[in-house]
Amino acid sequence: MLENPVSETFLLESFIDSPALNSKLEVEAALKQLPAVSAKSLHLSQTAFKQFNISTEKNYKNAPIATLNPSKPLKAETESLLKCATAVLPEEKKQVSELEQVPIQTLISTYFSFMILLIFAHVRDLLGKFFYPDQYKSLKEQDGYAPLISDFESLWNRRLYTRISDVFNRPITGVAGGHVNLLERTSKDNNRTFQLTGKKTNVLNLASYNYLGFAQSQGYCADQVEKMILEHGISTCTSRLHGGHTSLLSQTEQLVANFVGTEDAIIISMGYSTNSSVLPLLVQKGCLLISDELNHSSLVAGSRLSGATIAVFKHNNPEDLEQVLRKSISQGQPRTHRPWKKILVVVEGLYSMEGELCNLRGIIALKQKYKFNLYVDEAHSIGAVGKRGRGICDLLNIDPKQVDILMGTFTKSFGAVGGYIAGNKSLISMLRLMAHTSVYAESMPIPVLEQVASSLRLIMDDVPECKGEGLARINQLADNSAYFMGKLKQMGFLVLGSKGSPVVPLLLFNPGKIPAFSHECTKRNMAVVVVSYPATPIISGRVRFCLSASHTREDLNLALKHIDEIGDLLQLKLLKK
Amino acid sequence: MSLQIIKNTKIVLFGALSILLFSLAGSRANEDSYIKTGTQDNFDSQNPQNFFSIGARFVIRYIKSSYRNDPFRTFLEACLVFFIIWYVSRQKYRMNQTEVELSEKEVDELISEWKPEPLVRALTSVEQTILTNTPIINSPNTIIAELSTGTTAINFTSFDFLGIMNSEGAKAKAVQTLRNYGVGPCGPPGFFGTLDVHIELETTIAQFLKAEAAILYSQGMAVCVSVIPCFSKRGDIIVADEKVNFMLQQGIKLSRSKVYWYKHNDMEDLDRVLALANQNSSKKKGSIPRKFIISEGLFQYTGNIIKLNKVMELKNKHKFRLILDDSLAIGVLGSRGAGSTDHFNISAKSIDLLIGSLWGVFGGAGGFCCASKELIGHQRLSGLGYVFSAAMPAIMAITASDSIKRLEIDYILLLSALRKNISTLRNLLNEIDGVEILGDDFSPVIHVELKNEHYFKMIKSSNTGINTSDEISRNQMVEILCGITNEMQNSGVLVVQDIYIVDQEHNVPKPSIRILLSGGHSIEHLEKLSQELKKAIKV
Ligand SMILES: Cc1ncc(COP(=O)(O)O)c(C=O)c1O
Repeated sequence: MLENPVSETFLLESFIDSPALNSKLEVEAALKQLPAVSAKSLHLSQTAFKQFNISTEKNYKNAPIATLNPSKPLKAETESLLKCATAVLPEEKKQVSELEQVPIQTLISTYFSFMILLIFAHVRDLLGKFFYPDQYKSLKEQDGYAPLISDFESLWNRRLYTRISDVFNRPITGVAGGHVNLLERTSKDNNRTFQLTGKKTNVLNLASYNYLGFAQSQGYCADQVEKMILEHGISTCTSRLHGGHTSLLSQTEQLVANFVGTEDAIIISMGYSTNSSVLPLLVQKGCLLISDELNHSSLVAGSRLSGATIAVFKHNNPEDLEQVLRKSISQGQPRTHRPWKKILVVVEGLYSMEGELCNLRGIIALKQKYKFNLYVDEAHSIGAVGKRGRGICDLLNIDPKQVDILMGTFTKSFGAVGGYIAGNKSLISMLRLMAHTSVYAESMPIPVLEQVASSLRLIMDDVPECKGEGLARINQLADNSAYFMGKLKQMGFLVLGSKGSPVVPLLLFNPGKIPAFSHECTKRNMAVVVVSYPATPIISGRVRFCLSASHTREDLNLALKHIDEIGDLLQLKLLKK
Repeated sequence: MSLQIIKNTKIVLFGALSILLFSLAGSRANEDSYIKTGTQDNFDSQNPQNFFSIGARFVIRYIKSSYRNDPFRTFLEACLVFFIIWYVSRQKYRMNQTEVELSEKEVDELISEWKPEPLVRALTSVEQTILTNTPIINSPNTIIAELSTGTTAINFTSFDFLGIMNSEGAKAKAVQTLRNYGVGPCGPPGFFGTLDVHIELETTIAQFLKAEAAILYSQGMAVCVSVIPCFSKRGDIIVADEKVNFMLQQGIKLSRSKVYWYKHNDMEDLDRVLALANQNSSKKKGSIPRKFIISEGLFQYTGNIIKLNKVMELKNKHKFRLILDDSLAIGVLGSRGAGSTDHFNISAKSIDLLIGSLWGVFGGAGGFCCASKELIGHQRLSGLGYVFSAAMPAIMAITASDSIKRLEIDYILLLSALRKNISTLRNLLNEIDGVEILGDDFSPVIHVELKNEHYFKMIKSSNTGINTSDEISRNQMVEILCGITNEMQNSGVLVVQDIYIVDQEHNVPKPSIRILLSGGHSIEHLEKLSQELKKAIKV
């Protein structure tokens, strides 16, 4: 109960947090910083004690929480911290996070802003309901019908989201490549409706998931797609098992399996349903599904549909996963204590809102002992990370066969849509027959399938006339990501994410800054994605930059210059020395 | 990681609160000097009992004295304490109340003893048969399809009811779109994935169906799974037809609402179930729940058509709303081909949520939902498949849009060709002995079920030595149908049996051969189909 506001555990956690410290140098640098942090933590705990109006010397022993323990000499504590850190660092490649440095006033002011916004929203609703009852009719029970959208649910949308809705759902036209044509729109009624003005602006695109730059209407892939459309048409108009299975599908599935490094693979026409319809086949009632707390909505939907018991572990934290595993295996199913039929651990390769790579090594290390099956959603990491672009396993040098189910989507790195599941033969045969999408949903359209196949061939360097192009894209992306993130950090922004991640989130916090950032970027001809609740926790609204291989250094320099300006304007450089 | 921030900020706020409280307490304790002197030496954590009794004394004295000095402050402090207790207890809440205490060693033992089942079971022999007999197509999926075996066949497996898909014109347009838009839009609609063609397609759909507004979803399967949970939540009521398709079933499941099933297309039963649902819900206190009827327009599993006028009447009578999956009916039923609302001359605006598909008859991908502007706006924020998935490729959007426009112009020709084929084929099939032909006279989805006697006959004639005494299992039926469709494929007619995920369906239909008819089939195609069917089932 008396937990110290900024306890050592927190500070330590931020050390052991993200898995992407690459070079030895960085590890050393991180280690050097440790004493400083621990000193800070000591200072903080002392301050806290002063606030309790209890003398530190005398009474600390009675403090009920073990973490409040500044009695150990500073040196000893540093050593123990160091021990912890070194125990994890070399293996897991940890990184120093800057999160603990968020000034407390930023957090408080963010909460405060939300409070004001919500109070205003409620007051406006109250007054509105009183003076203009007609406009609020749909929120009330009418004529025996319950409102379809509940009052509270819609409050957020009407009063908060609508205010800034002009920064979402922005229409574009043409290819979402390194630059994109934004359609200008205006609203005459405070964002309730929008009208297109007919004006187009070409803007730098830091918003689309076009990691390897395959969003193209020219070049090898487009040519192949054109050829395939003319030969094989557009759509199969039926599901896979009911006549929608084409020979192109079989070939592409083989290609995917080769690329990912598994025995076999199945392609499904949508990434979202890949997760939501395959998970129910893997676990059912009596099984346990353990999910990372930040998993994507599609995984959550699949987990719910499965009927399995769901447990959650702390984001990217194998220690916590181990605790959850120990507890659930030893306790068995709720109430009956029967042993679980099977346990499936579901994680993502790259968390798209955090830009954070999965601590896959830590999780795989537990696999042998706890005998669970592992499901890794590589929606964002496939193609985008690893020396050969083969995802998180490639990056961390893990044999893909160690992961039971490798899922990924073609929406991000391949410029297509759809998803795949890769794994061993028996798993995939079962899915071919029983995945909901095989039976009840459309099979993959021909142009999309060919886009997948041709971009895969490029990445795998299988196209003689474009030798080395795939590799060049992978390297360019890695280069761009590292450069961009490094520069932002130098400027003093609070940037989340692992090193090497092509997604770079920058925390904005205050709700007012969310639309402001987007507007400022639009003014400067840049497209960026700002995200806020419900896609992120309410407090940590952010802007998310997605790097692409089609960005040139000039593009990035220009973008950085603008972001620098905006950062000063909106006072976003929280870590500026 | 961000969740960590939020958690830690909670802790910060919480910490701040407790500091506030305890500094108050502390200052008060300082005033009451006798407490200090009385307790200081006895504070000994080694002896918890002592500690607690002293603590209790401390608290009681503290409350007494503070109440004397300033009752309001005591009240505030009490509020704070309650808040903290509530907060802490809320965090500690666990589902598992029947936990057993175990030592580390026992835990380790249990872990090493635990044996999980294999991740997937092996396929049964029937399942294997189905899988190996899945036809693979090696050409555009048009009326005549080339199979991977090298033969060609007349194709009765495509939802392209109007026979307009994969035409040369459509292909040329697709190539043109490819050159303007590339393939994938590389993002969900909310994050720069909305293309101008999506907006146009939404308008085209709404105009065609005469609905207020429409929203696109990028895969057919995602529509129901998104729309239903978006409006119907835990505690709400769903009354659904027992034969609705699997996607609707999944949507219903995901919504976690209370479900009542009524007999397939049986209006009396619907009336009864609606009354029952109302009765049950009126027993509960509080505000009335949202109540929905869920049905299909043209049923995929039976080929029947909803009695929409009656459903509308009952829905109004019992104050339910209607979620209508018109995926198969749109493009087929009605004078303009605008679906079951058109068929019954009911305004699409009076259907609360109207679901349609674009991947079937319109040859694109995905599907849509039509509703009032407000409900569409709500879906753009809360429809999971819309918010969290990539937008539809422009090629598919334009293909669908062009098909709808073509139907708007050519509906008389296209629909009459289809209807003529439907009645011709139904007449032909009705003449065959030993089979049951399901579905409405307007339905291009034709399920052919073998009668039980006929299964026996076939088993006998094949002489496989199976005991044919009393009953045949589902697996036997499936295997026989597999043989029939195989034989038909070899002689140039591509039909498939309808496959289900048997153990996950709510009410799995009897195995059947599913024939999907198109306006593009010629009379000869239909005759050939019925001949081959006769031959294959050996009558
Ligand atoms: C982790 C994860 N899984 C699945 C998906 C869904 O993929 P798609 O957009 O192809 O439907 C996404 C997309 O945002 C994702 O981030």
